Amino acid sequence: MASPRYSLLRTLIPFDIYGGMKLTGKYFGKVLRQANRGLKRTHVVVEYPEVPTTLMPRFRGRLQMIKDEQGEVKCVCCMACEKICPTQVITIEKGKKEGRKTPFPIRYDFEMERCIFCEFCVESCGFDSIILNHQFELATYNREDFSHAMEGGFQNMFDPTPVSHYSVSSED
Amino acid sequence: MEQLLIKLGQYMFVIFGLLAVGGAGVLIFSKSAVHSVIGFLFSMICVAGCFLSLQAEFLGVAQLLVYAGGIVVLFLFVVMLVELTKYQEKGIFQTQTKFAIPLVGLGLLAFAGVFRTALFGASTNEALTLQPGLVGATENLGNAQAVSRGLFANFILPFEILSVILLVALVGAIVLAKSERV
Amino acid sequence: MTPTLTQYLVISLLQIVVVMGFVMTLVPLLTFAERKVIGYVQVRLGATRVAGGLWGAQRGRTHQSRTFTGGLNGFMWWLGRWPVISIFRGLPMFIADALKLLTKEDIVPIEADKAVFVLSPALAMVAAFTVFAAIGFAPGALFYFPAKFPYLGGLPFYGFLTDLNVGLLFILGVASVGVYGIVLGAWASNSKYPLLGGLRSAAQIVSYEVPLTLSLLVPVVLTGSLNFNEMSTRMATDIPVNGLVGIGRTLLMFVGFFVYTTCGFAETNRTPFDLAEAENELVAGFHTEYSGMKFSFFFLSEYASMITVSALASAFFLGGHYLLPFGLQPTWNHFFQNSPSAFLAWTCTPSILWFLLKIFFLLFVFLWVRATVPRYRYDQLMDVGWKFLIPYTLVMFVIAALLRYAA
Ligand code: SF4
Ligand code: SF4
Repeated sequence: MASPRYSLLRTLIPFDIYGGMKLTGKYFGKVLRQANRGLKRTHVVVEYPEVPTTLMPRFRGRLQMIKDEQGEVKCVCCMACEKICPTQVITIEKGKKEGRKTPFPIRYDFEMERCIFCEFCVESCGFDSIILNHQFELATYNREDFSHAMEGGFQNMFDPTPVSHYSVSSED
Repeated sequence: MEQLLIKLGQYMFVIFGLLAVGGAGVLIFSKSAVHSVIGFLFSMICVAGCFLSLQAEFLGVAQLLVYAGGIVVLFLFVVMLVELTKYQEKGIFQTQTKFAIPLVGLGLLAFAGVFRTALFGASTNEALTLQPGLVGATENLGNAQAVSRGLFANFILPFEILSVILLVALVGAIVLAKSERV
Repeated sequence: MTPTLTQYLVISLLQIVVVMGFVMTLVPLLTFAERKVIGYVQVRLGATRVAGGLWGAQRGRTHQSRTFTGGLNGFMWWLGRWPVISIFRGLPMFIADALKLLTKEDIVPIEADKAVFVLSPALAMVAAFTVFAAIGFAPGALFYFPAKFPYLGGLPFYGFLTDLNVGLLFILGVASVGVYGIVLGAWASNSKYPLLGGLRSAAQIVSYEVPLTLSLLVPVVLTGSLNFNEMSTRMATDIPVNGLVGIGRTLLMFVGFFVYTTCGFAETNRTPFDLAEAENELVAGFHTEYSGMKFSFFFLSEYASMITVSALASAFFLGGHYLLPFGLQPTWNHFFQNSPSAFLAWTCTPSILWFLLKIFFLLFVFLWVRATVPRYRYDQLMDVGWKFLIPYTLVMFVIAALLRYAA
């Protein structure tokens, strides 16, 4: 078909449009037959609220602090995360705690409304004490709901975001 | 029922005629050029309505197709593209008024003569009917057939001459447009 | 039995209501079909839900469990288990669409030319819908009112509104007025993008009207008539496919079908010829400044003219009310007319069913093409129109005249 001898023929008869229509028609037929859940699915979308979405392992969700096996806060207040954060949304207050050699954060505030989810804080942390978890349904109705703290804030830094009535999918 | 339809047709003719005159008024008197074109379009559609109410379906629809659908679009196209206010200051409008007024007067007189014969003259009864003998058509032949027989059989020479004149106009337009670009 | 004047008027009114109702329900269904077809072609699902929390808030969410998003949407999720019904999930979308368009705020720009701004959507809509007056959905009577029917007993209910002698010309003429809706609306918006869209559209429609009319001249020449019903019947059944004339005719109708549909795409401003509303260049083209009901008038008129183009193509090229397209019906009839099988004999008779099926198929092709073919550039558009389609149609016209002469 590509030879120039056929170029006039290709001008007069739209083979290429026919080829494109064949391709799209094939996909239409496939999806039309398999649109119901009973069969193997061809379509690439999931029906999100009912079917949980699968996230890639490197997905960057909300900032969350982690505790070690003894239930101790892993953060040692090196302030690396606070320093590197481009939007300055982490505020840490250094303090001491009975029976703990390393410094203990008495305050660790995180204002999610300005966080850009760049994961610099997690990369800079040498103690693996924070992660960006896999939550993506972070919308709230109030600005205050975005402020996180260890305790006393509207959301706890240790727990996953309590999924309220504005977010529907389940958390892994 | 037939009677009623004929009566309705007559009334429709008068209504469409008046509306067409109204559209022509808009064409002449409106300030904006696009409004003029809309008036022109309206008047053309009403003329098509006049033809339809006279049972000249082919003419009416051809009027709609050619004038309303084709020619007025081109007018509109030009009016929208060309900024007329720019030319208004140069004073190129209304330069031919002194020739136009007598010509329009002459035209009015001629029209008055035509109307007088049409309304009161001897031809009142046949003015608006196609003469069967002229087009060589029988009674039950459709409108389109009658027109085409007239055009392509009886008046083929004037028709061709007209089309050559149109062709000359087309070629002239192309030549003008070309020379401007060079 | 001839009807009296009032009976005649009542039946005419009923016919108008039926035809307009058909078109008016088909248009919103088409918008739904458009989402679905394009979705399926792009390996998506298209519309399957209506709105977030309609009829009940999201309820019953626990860790790691399926949740429901409100009564109606939960029901639609459930419907997805059933093979055919699952395709039609999201069908209430078209009601939601219509409601949204009806209740939206109607914005008129301050600098706009108010009268023309209001006039143009109406013009587009009237032109697109008046066309249906001359389209014959079924030649002759669709059915007769039963004798016991009050007032109208025994009278025929026709499948067409008018049986104009110049029906085809009427359709072309009225449809050609529709371009003013676009151009005037674009101009009246007093904004740059609509004006560009309108100018493009005017140039496009005026140039594509030539091949469109020329390609419709082929059936006119072959049948020697301008009456819609007569043309469609005679195109389907006139000449059996034997000998050179019949084969030539079939080939001509085959090519003519494609040429006509291409021009029809351009006339209705559909992809791949939708330069008037090219989103990537012109925001939304000629209807950028329109909102609410006025916008939906443009929308409706576009879809109504899609139906018109499909009806014309299926009547003149796809065999109209008969089963087989391209004038193959007489051959079919020759073999099966007297066949013992009742079904095969039935396929030889005209029926409005075939006509509607063909219209639906062509509407599907409209959506299919929209999902496949990318938009033409402006100069390519003009090339296709003037250098390709017009010579093609002229050659077709000459061949048609020769065939007519030979027959
Ligand atoms: S993800 Fe980026 S913006 Fe957000 S807290 Fe960490 S460093 Fe700051
Ligand atoms: S970088 Fe890690 S250890 Fe250092 S303050 Fe931040 S969270 Fe704590």
